[in-house]
Amino acid sequence: MIRFFLSLAALIFGSFLFQLYLPPVLLLKGAAILFVPAIYFYGCVSLPFPLMLALTFFTGLLNDLLLVPQANVDYPAGVSTLVYLGPGLIMHGLKPLFLKHRWELHWLLAEIGAVLTPFLLLAQYAILSIERTEFFYSDVIVWRILGPGLISLVIAPCVFFILTPLSHMLGYRPGLRLAR
Amino acid sequence: MKSSTITAIAIFAVLVVLVLLLPRATKQQLQGTLFQWISPVLRTGASVQQELGGVRGGLKRLDELERENQELKLENEQLRATNSLLNNLEAEVNRLNRALGFREQSPFKLLPARVISRESATWWNTCTISRGSKDGIATDMAVVTESGLVGKVTTVGRDVAVVLLISDESLRVSISIEGTQEQGIVSGTRASSSYAPDLRIRFLSKTANLTPGMKVLTAGAGGVFPSGLFIGTVKDYSAKELEGVASVMPAVDLANLQDVFVILRQR
Repeated sequence: MIRFFLSLAALIFGSFLFQLYLPPVLLLKGAAILFVPAIYFYGCVSLPFPLMLALTFFTGLLNDLLLVPQANVDYPAGVSTLVYLGPGLIMHGLKPLFLKHRWELHWLLAEIGAVLTPFLLLAQYAILSIERTEFFYSDVIVWRILGPGLISLVIAPCVFFILTPLSHMLGYRPGLRLAR
Repeated sequence: MKSSTITAIAIFAVLVVLVLLLPRATKQQLQGTLFQWISPVLRTGASVQQELGGVRGGLKRLDELERENQELKLENEQLRATNSLLNNLEAEVNRLNRALGFREQSPFKLLPARVISRESATWWNTCTISRGSKDGIATDMAVVTESGLVGKVTTVGRDVAVVLLISDESLRVSISIEGTQEQGIVSGTRASSSYAPDLRIRFLSKTANLTPGMKVLTAGAGGVFPSGLFIGTVKDYSAKELEGVASVMPAVDLANLQDVFVILRQR
């Protein structure tokens, strides 16, 4: 279990770095391609609650330290741990579905994760708007929030179907008896 | 509720509060240290990206030549490949010559740096450069190219630094419009990115007589940016209820930044 948790943390770290080199999708008005939420949501549905919280802290802090200029006072490091926590808890609540180990349920969970992805961006947008006391709104903003969710509808199932064999390979099979 | 769950919630809450309460300088230091750790990965990524870009550019040129010289295609393939490579080399030499000329003529002491990554975060516009505290870089130093202002340094590691780009909403620069008495504040918008920068000048007078193409320069107020740095040109101007607002076409191509200069001090 710990080995799988560490693998997820390493994958999240690697994905953050990989994302730095992915240009935004100009067809979707500059929406970003995000791998991190899909991996994080897999952790939320597969890990026990304490490790899910640890993964939330790690992901949120890394998000802020890698992506948010810390000279800003309007979005200090640590805020994203709370931003990730909400959707993370929703996904963790769906863990019983994950434990049924049926591919169609895993696919459904991946798509729910994709639907929750825009909420991460919406929460960040809301925090910035409140802190800067200005609700700047345009169609670009809508695409920046919804676009990553649309892209995740494709990415998230792939991530889920890759991570399940990985967890089995590392000996973590939640809800399944150990193969002899 | 299980005791392990309660303990986990308590530890999580304490850690979050501790991180939130850290002073800003400590967070900047933490960020600098993290970027320092990952700088080898960023440098490698930048080199790979450059190699891939070079190959792609070369192939594009080959395609164009192929269309023009169909009947000589096979015979000239080697020649065209060589030509393409030389073109790339010439462009690189020209670019470096321009940069060198700018560095020598500038009234400031400039430190050249290479952009090693462009962070594509949704709401923030930053890039990482290949120089840090060991080269004399500190926070709030202005970053420019031969075309104009790029942004300012916000986080410094030992040999990397994070630059907040002018397209970011949180970077506000006092400006003046060349040939007028108009002054204002320029910043990006939340919808702005280095690929589609959207710069706005606010706090202009309602009667400002601005026309497209007028030059926008730094005013030098605040002490971070020296006065007279070129930012861009006015695209359009409109008078609102309380102020005049203008949009600006940035002078620097922020999406294709390669080499920049950090202003260390005035000569």
